[in-house]
Parts: sequence; C-alpha cells; structure tokens
Amino acid sequence: MTNPELISFDSLLENGRSLLESQIIEAQTPEPGRLDLVIGPSDLPQAVQTLVDNHWGYLAAITGLDRPESSEVEALYHFCSGPAVLTLRVRVPYAEPALPTICGVIPSATLYEREFMEMFGVQVTGTPDPQRLFLPDDWPEGVYPLRKSFNPQEKVPQVKPKANGDNAGRYIVPIGPQHPALKEPGHFEFTVNGEIVTGASVRLGYVHRGIEKACEERTWTQAMYLLERVCGICSNSHAYAYVLGVEKLAQVEAPERAQAIRELVAGLERIHSHLLWLGVAAHEAGFDTLFMYSWRDRETVMDLLERLTGNRVNYSANLIGGVKFDVDDEQRRTILAGLDYLEERCRHYLDVVSTDAAFLQRTRGVGTMTREQAELLGVVGPTARASGVDRDIRVEAPYGSYRRFPVSIVIEHAGDLEAKFVVRVKEMLVSISTLRALLDNLPPGELVARVPRRIPAGETISRVEAPRGELFYFIKSSGGDKPERVKVRTPSICNFGSVIHTAVGHQFADMPMLLAGIDPCFSCNDRMIVVRKK
Amino acid sequence: MNAFLSAAALLFFPGGLSLLVSGLAYEWADRKLLARMQNRLGPRWFQPLADVVKLLSKEEIVPYGANRLIFNLLPVAALAGPLTAALYVPLFGLPPMYSFQGDLIVVIYLLSLLTICTGLAGANMASRFSVLGATRTLTQVFAYEAPFLLALLGPAIAAGSWEIRSIQAFAETRWLLLTQPLGFLVALIGLMGKLELPPFDAPEAETEIVAGALTEYSGRGLALFRLGKGVEMVVGLTLIAAFFLGGVGNLPGFLLKTLVLLLVLVTLQAVLTRFRIDQVVRGWRWGALLALLQILVMIIWG
Repeated sequence: MTNPELISFDSLLENGRSLLESQIIEAQTPEPGRLDLVIGPSDLPQAVQTLVDNHWGYLAAITGLDRPESSEVEALYHFCSGPAVLTLRVRVPYAEPALPTICGVIPSATLYEREFMEMFGVQVTGTPDPQRLFLPDDWPEGVYPLRKSFNPQEKVPQVKPKANGDNAGRYIVPIGPQHPALKEPGHFEFTVNGEIVTGASVRLGYVHRGIEKACEERTWTQAMYLLERVCGICSNSHAYAYVLGVEKLAQVEAPERAQAIRELVAGLERIHSHLLWLGVAAHEAGFDTLFMYSWRDRETVMDLLERLTGNRVNYSANLIGGVKFDVDDEQRRTILAGLDYLEERCRHYLDVVSTDAAFLQRTRGVGTMTREQAELLGVVGPTARASGVDRDIRVEAPYGSYRRFPVSIVIEHAGDLEAKFVVRVKEMLVSISTLRALLDNLPPGELVARVPRRIPAGETISRVEAPRGELFYFIKSSGGDKPERVKVRTPSICNFGSVIHTAVGHQFADMPMLLAGIDPCFSCNDRMIVVRKK
Repeated sequence: MNAFLSAAALLFFPGGLSLLVSGLAYEWADRKLLARMQNRLGPRWFQPLADVVKLLSKEEIVPYGANRLIFNLLPVAALAGPLTAALYVPLFGLPPMYSFQGDLIVVIYLLSLLTICTGLAGANMASRFSVLGATRTLTQVFAYEAPFLLALLGPAIAAGSWEIRSIQAFAETRWLLLTQPLGFLVALIGLMGKLELPPFDAPEAETEIVAGALTEYSGRGLALFRLGKGVEMVVGLTLIAAFFLGGVGNLPGFLLKTLVLLLVLVTLQAVLTRFRIDQVVRGWRWGALLALLQILVMIIWG
C-alpha cells in the first residue's frame, strides 16, 4: 500500500511516540496506522496527561484483555487522532490488580474505567464513582465475566442487591425503563425543583446480553451474525466494522464491488436511522404531524432495503470477505427513484426544522453544548458535529470504498437541538448524493473473496462511522477458528454523558428532547451507568 | 306531565344522554380529522364509544396514598360541570332549556369545573407524574381563564345583557366575528387550552409525564373525565358559534358552524408543536392583552 495517508499517520504516531519517549517500556506497530506503547501502571496518568496537553487525539475506548498464560490483565487505552490510533498498554498482574485512574485528566473516562473494573476484576484506584456500570445488581462480587476463567455455561448465583442511595429531600421524576417517553429500556432520574431540573442520572443495562463474551464461544462467521444483532437500527454498521476488522487480520481485501455495495447499504441505513430519529425527536417535542410524515417517508427507504437485501431490519448484507447479494439494474433504478423522492422530502424537512416558528421554540438555544464541552465529554457522531467538532470516521480515516465515493462532512456550530436536527437532515442529503454517484459508477467484479476458516493471530482495530457516530471494534485472534476477544464500543455510550451534563438547569419539559437529541441507542450500548451530578 | 317532560329533557334530550353521545361524536370527528391531516387512517366512528364502554367495564384501582372519597367524587363533579352548563346553552339549534340574567357567568364557572377537578385529581395522588401534571393544569387555568372570560364578555357588552339567550338573539342578526375578531380568536384558543388540546397539552404531555394529572385514573373515573371533556368541547364550540358566528338557531346551522370551528381547532393541533408550560403562560399574557384591547375598542366606539 502506498497511499498518502500512511505518511500522515506515520508522522502523527512518531509525534506521539516522541511525546512519551521517557515512559516507553516497549513499542510496536501491529498494523499500519497504529502504534502500541507498553508503559508501567504508575506512569499512566502522566502519559495520558502528556497526550491531552499536546492535543493528541481523544480517548476512544479502554479495552481489557485477560492473559491467563502470564497471569495478568492488560488494559489498552486507545487514543485516536484522525486515521492514527495510539494505544497505551498497561499490564496488571493478578496478584496486585490495581491501576490509577485517568479521570483527573479525562472525566468522561469514568464509564470506560468502571466497565473495565467489573468485567476484569481490576481496581481502578481513585475513579470518581466505583459503582456497578454494566452488571446487574444481583451479580455476585468476585465474578468477572470477561476473564477467560469465567465459564458462561455455569450458572451464576444471584445475591441480594444492595439498597440504593439516600434520596431523602429530593423530588425525583423517573423516566423509564417503562415510560411512554422512551420506548427503549433506559432508566433516568431527574431531580426537579418545580419545572427546573437540578440533577440527572442514567442507568442502563436492561437489555444487556453479554454479546462480547458470547463472541468468544462462536466461530468467526457465527460471531458476525451475533454482532449484527447488537442493534436493531444500525445492524449493518456492526457487521461492517466486524468484517472489516476480520478481513484486515486475515489480510484479505473484499472485492471493489462488494465494498461499494457495503457502502450502499450503510448509506441507506443512515437515511433510515436519521428519519427514524427525526420522527422520534419530533414526537418528544409534541409535534406528532412531523413524526407521522417522517415515518411514512422512512417506509420508502425501508422498502428499498427490503428489496435489496430481503430484510427490513437485520439486512445481513455482509460476509467475511464480501457481500451476499448483487445489485441488478432494476434494483439500481428503483433505488435511484426512491432516492429522488427522499431527497425532495429531506429538503422539505430541512425547511421545517429550520423555519417552523413553533418548533424552533422548542429547539433553538435548547440543550446547547459548546465545542469545548463536546471535546471534553468525548462525544461522537452528529452530536459532536452539531457542536462544531469535525469528527467523522468516513472522512478522517476512510475505510472500504469511502475513498472512491467520498462523503462530505456536515458541521453546525450552534450546538443546540436545532443544530442536531439540521446536521442529521443535511447528512441524509449528503448520503443521497453519494449513493447516486455510487450507483452510477458501481464497479464490476466479484462479490466475495476467499477467507480462511482460521484467522491468523493478531490484533486489529476497526472504526466505522455508524449513524450515531464512531463505532469502535477491537478484535483479537489467537489463530483459531474463534475470536479471542471482541470489544465493542458503541457511539451512544460516548454521548450519554453529554445529556447528563447539559440537563441541569433546563426545563423538565425539555428532557425527552435532550435525550432524543443524541439519538441514544439502548440496545447498542447496553451497559449500566449511574452518573450522579450535583 | 310537565315534570315528566322536564325530566326527559334533562336526562335524554337535549340534556343528558344526547349530550354524552354528541360529545363522543365530536371527539371522534376531532380524532379522525387530526388523523387524516397526519396521514393516518384514524379511528372508526364508534371508537370513542367503545373506549368508554371498555373503561366503564374495567376495574378501577385507587392508588396507595390517594384519598378514596375525593378520588371517586372528582370524576363525577368533572362530568356534572359541563352537563349542567349545557342547560343554559342553545344546543342542537334549540333555545337554551333554562335562562336567567347572568347565566353566562355561571356557565363560564361551570366550564372551569372540569379543569379544576382534573387538577385536584392529580394533586390527590402520590405519583410524580400526576402531581407535575396537576401543577401544570392549574398553572394553565390561571393563564387562559381570564382571557377566555374577557373574550366572551365582548358579545355580552355588545348585546347589553348577561343572559346567553338574549346575547344569542342579538348575535343572530350580525356576525360578531367581523366586529370582534380579536375576542373570537382569544375565545377559540382559550377553548383549546381548556380542553388541553395540542399544542396546549403540556399538562398531559405523554412524552414527559405520561398522562399528567389523570395518570393514575383507570376504569370508571377515567371514562367520566373523558365524557366530561367531550361534553365540554360541544358546549364550548356551541357558545363560540352562538356568540361570534351569527348564532346557532337551527340544527343545520348548529352542525355546520360547530364543525367548521372544530376543523380550525384540528388544523391548529396538526401544525403546531407543543408549548412548554412557561411558554404557554408567557403567550397568554398577550391573550389577555388582546381581549382587553377588544373590550377597550368596544367601549370607545360602542
């Protein structure tokens, strides 16, 4: 591969390496665009501080790896800057399972740290909130599901949950897990004083299915079907990220036509997801007419997806090494006609969300998040782009056929709900024009490349821009027919923190809209979170 | 014989049963028209009736922490208010059943009873959603009640009478809509606030507080509240049509005028986004000012 990006990430990584020179124990480059630096646990906060001070990217995820062969757990702190990924690897022995926190530098790391703690049994000392994040209340202490010694076939004994914290003297309005505002299982508690919100907390995990662990028990192909079911809205994004990663490990490249078809499905999925969101958000604001119209129009793109893939929800378009179906000429024409209709409707919706006076009363200046806050909280996707952060993996680190059929990035600067509406509607328009170019120049060729059943040993990181933002996969193979570890970091978990942050001081009536503003996907990221903010 | 006729009039026509039925019919028209505007199919003609029958046949649960007596009495009072108000209003093209000097004020008070009962019903509960809904309902009462009253005073002042029958007789010869457009607008929007129709449905915003004050009501109580709302809609539309749209002296005129008003209400429901409670209160300051302005204009030129 000789492309100009290689040079750009090489210099980025070289810069990162020189920043941390004094702390590095060992350095390696597992694949192009990545640099892994092994550092000592005590050096971690200092190293993170150095990266943040020099604006070297953002913390994308913390991955845990259990290594029973050397009796240690490894924590991987992934920092992303454009196409480059710098990973700080810290090894923690079983005998002394403790790590210092990095929340002092990056406050939003608390969620990742807590997940790591309960899944791997490592104490992160000094983390602001050491409570359970991910596991249910009746899960026993000392059972760490992502350690290799944990056997998912065995029954885990249930323990009596601990009592909740003291809520005396506070007037709390609960929303969810069963509530007309949220048709999805999340639980939010808003402390109110009259109509003004003075505190907010969120707790998730009601549909946690342990998919990461389940992947370790299945073959590479089976795991793909499982991961596709992480989410019912962006099912293709999950499979897309996974197959890209596995193909990188296997050193196979999907044929050009297959890559274009993947981008086609991803683009249609984005349109369907954003239209769905538009309807839900309008409903939250009490504008049911827009809700009904946008969902009627969403049927168009659902029909296109069904005609193309045979399914409305889990399209099952991907295979490791390619795609399952071709696009014939008639389908191509149907899709183009559908896109014409959708474009006309999206232009209309853009007009509605940016000019309807009654609607703007509920969106303009509501829930504003500044660029600085957005960067500090590590938000991704349209939520970040509505606050002026230019973060879009399709543009920063183009994968698949996004080099050949590029998309342009949509940025708004206001950071309020109106900007979130405008960004998403404009993104649909961008997707439509990209898909047109793609359908007009569909490359000929095969649909599938051959991939071995056993994937060579190695580690890879695969990042895909899902409708809600950056979807991050870390995949490790030990050379067998099953993955050694699959780590999924979904965009919603990055964005939840921003709701809790912006909620305080707003009207209670704005809460459903603020929540809807980030387009939260509960089944995507289901983990348990309790963020308390005074 | 006379007593028998009065009882029949009270219980069946034009009071009682026929009112309930027309309330359900107008509720259906409202829902159906809104659905069609939103590109939905909407309910079948008997859906509101089926809803009420179903609710009446269901178990009523008195939630923990609520006063049982108040819980049971409030729905009855909420339905009784509009039913009584209807007696003084020219329904179905007939003259009002009863009339006396000053009945307009009584009707306006009786029409507020439903809202007050809804608010009290919510305040009677321990549920967060009910209490928040009750707060919003009662806040909204203070916002629209004064402008609504002022708007209806306009025709009364013009006719020089506090009796609905004589105001209607006066209004039959001229369309007061033309001379009092501001009052008409305020009265119509005030009626939407009274009925908690979108965009003034903050007190029962389902995405925030489930069903507001009535969240904990089920079965009979909920059915009575809904019937009360239907009757209030008919009475309110009749009053406005009688005062501003040249009277409702005959049945076709009554149906035509009230349904046209309903169509206006539905259109507003379809095109507007729900206002937050603070926005409602702020907006009604203008409503009150407009109504006052109208009266001022009438006093100066009248």
